[in-house]
Amino acid sequence: MTAITNLLSFLGLVVTLLIVWRQSWPGRLRLFIAQSLLLALLALVIGVLVGKAGLLVVAGMVVLLKAWLIPRALARIAAGTPVRSVAPGHSAAVPVLVAGALVVVAYVVMLPVNAATTLPTAGGIPLAFAMALIGLFVCVSGRDALGHLLGFLMFENGIFGLALLATYGLPGLVEAGVFLDVLAIVLLMEGVLLRVRREHDSIEVDRLEELRG
Amino acid sequence: MTLLLLLGLPLAGAALSTRLSGAAARAAHGLTAGGTLAAAAAVVAAVMRDGSVTALDGLLRADALSAWMVGLVGLVATLAAIEAPRQVPRTEARRFYPLLHLFTFTMLLALTTDDVGLMWVAIEGTTLASVFLVNFERSRSSLEASYKYLLICSVGVALAFVGTILVYFADVQQFGDELYALRWTTLLRLAPGLPARVIELAFVFLLVGYGTKAGLAPMHTWLPDAHSEAPAPVSALMSGVLLSVGLYAVLRFKAVVDLAAGPGFASRLLVALGLASLGVAAAFLWAPRNFKRMLAYSSVEHVGVVCLGLGFGGPLGVAGAVLHIANHGLAKSVLFLLSGRIRAAYGSAEIPAVSGLLAAMPLTGRGFLVAMLALAGLPPFGLFVSEVMIFAAGFQDGHVAASVLGLALLVVAFAGLLRATHRMLYGPAPVGTRETAHWPSTLALAAALLLLIVTGLAWPPGLAAALEQIASLLAP
Repeated sequence: MTAITNLLSFLGLVVTLLIVWRQSWPGRLRLFIAQSLLLALLALVIGVLVGKAGLLVVAGMVVLLKAWLIPRALARIAAGTPVRSVAPGHSAAVPVLVAGALVVVAYVVMLPVNAATTLPTAGGIPLAFAMALIGLFVCVSGRDALGHLLGFLMFENGIFGLALLATYGLPGLVEAGVFLDVLAIVLLMEGVLLRVRREHDSIEVDRLEELRG
Repeated sequence: MTLLLLLGLPLAGAALSTRLSGAAARAAHGLTAGGTLAAAAAVVAAVMRDGSVTALDGLLRADALSAWMVGLVGLVATLAAIEAPRQVPRTEARRFYPLLHLFTFTMLLALTTDDVGLMWVAIEGTTLASVFLVNFERSRSSLEASYKYLLICSVGVALAFVGTILVYFADVQQFGDELYALRWTTLLRLAPGLPARVIELAFVFLLVGYGTKAGLAPMHTWLPDAHSEAPAPVSALMSGVLLSVGLYAVLRFKAVVDLAAGPGFASRLLVALGLASLGVAAAFLWAPRNFKRMLAYSSVEHVGVVCLGLGFGGPLGVAGAVLHIANHGLAKSVLFLLSGRIRAAYGSAEIPAVSGLLAAMPLTGRGFLVAMLALAGLPPFGLFVSEVMIFAAGFQDGHVAASVLGLALLVVAFAGLLRATHRMLYGPAPVGTRETAHWPSTLALAAALLLLIVTGLAWPPGLAAALEQIASLLAP
């Protein structure tokens, strides 16, 4: 069990780093779907190995929401924007370096957690947390609303992975609430951003500067 | 049963008002608001009688702290509901009332559930329910405010989720009881045996996460935008009680971390964040330009004061903080509701655009003056008493430097607030700006101000006992 959960967490982190490295939108979106599918697989594996049927439902929900419905919404939001690289004129080297440093940070922050457990899945905990931190980094360094939203969703995926590895998922009621929340956030964001596009002809956040002081 | 009623009424009202318009929509709005207030009063009464009430196998539970907050939400939601028809055009009712009652429902759910996982869901729900209320006026600036609000608060609350997972992890690792592991009562019972370092780490995430929702600096950047762009009844709810719901969540976890890791850890963090919030607010309040933003920054200031009270700790500090939450909630919601009237009459929320308020709008102007004096912390109003309690606790427990700095920042904010108020109240009144409100519609606001004098001058029987009970829940 340790081997396979560690492998899946590691693959998840690799995909996360690839998202940071990748500069085209469709490419990033495909990688996000891959990340979500890996998490669904993780939920499935843990569910089967520890015998928690609830996690199988959770895996199905992840596929439905994060590999299908949410990417479709993201594609709708992106549909009106011109195809260009995420950060024109900037190399991906610095963000990838930052992401690498965040992996180290994640290991340090999660030290007390790893010290308190003998779970077979413990090895993946810092990796999942690193995925969350890198997502947060993508979110705060994003240049337009799509970058913010994608970063937030990667952040959320990392947290979901953390919950799977550290506690084999949360109680059903909370899990259901989390899925509803994520879906609602994306749909509300779509509503807000479509209005922003109508008003500003762009979803670049640099243009949002009416409110200061 | 009362708890189910308390949650069911606003939810049913929200569902119903999606289908109604015109007079029927207003009637449904009034009934929902009145029913919610009555149910809140019933919950408070039941808790005063029995100590706590539960429902749904303990999933819902209200103790003295919940009841205190439920009572406050009930009062502020009623004030907002009474003012709403003045601010919301009839044709837009369907876009406003369902979300308003849904917003109230999510806050009440966060306050009355014993499950910290469900509390997280409810607090995230408060953001989702209020996003389109912030953008109600559909202006460019309100659109920008709602975008910032949704993004920053979602990220913040997701950080709180990391904290919740870590608490659950510690709990399950130690005790294995999965079904009730996220119940606050379970956590409190098991706290002394939980691994201290993990709980400390969890608390950092929870404080930053729920602190974002509470508007603590430096995570407050969304707050002035959202609170100033929302329509007045929504601003009143957001500044008056939504911030306190974030603080409430911090409070619940502080009790757990105090037992698991000793009281010093949470206390240091809270004092630091409290001073940061006071500092940021004082810097802005020195020379504000827009009166709705001024009120919003003043909320950052008062959240900072509450945090100081919690950080100083002890029965006096906690009681002062909890009392301050209620005092600030009442004063700030009255001010936001009046500011809605001022903005409508003057056509602007800029301070230089408003002059001669007392002459042009005697009723609104006088109310604004009285509420502003209360907010600034002058006697005989309740905020003076709760601030004295908080800083007395600070000096008593040896936080002298933090107390002195906090008081100095309060004085700066005080001076800025009064100067801006003076500029608005006096001077030549523009031609054609008239009072549109009459006495009856202002009675509720006057009652709220009267309540502030009550908490300032003469505590009714039971208030001291209630505060003592809350303090003993959180600082045993």
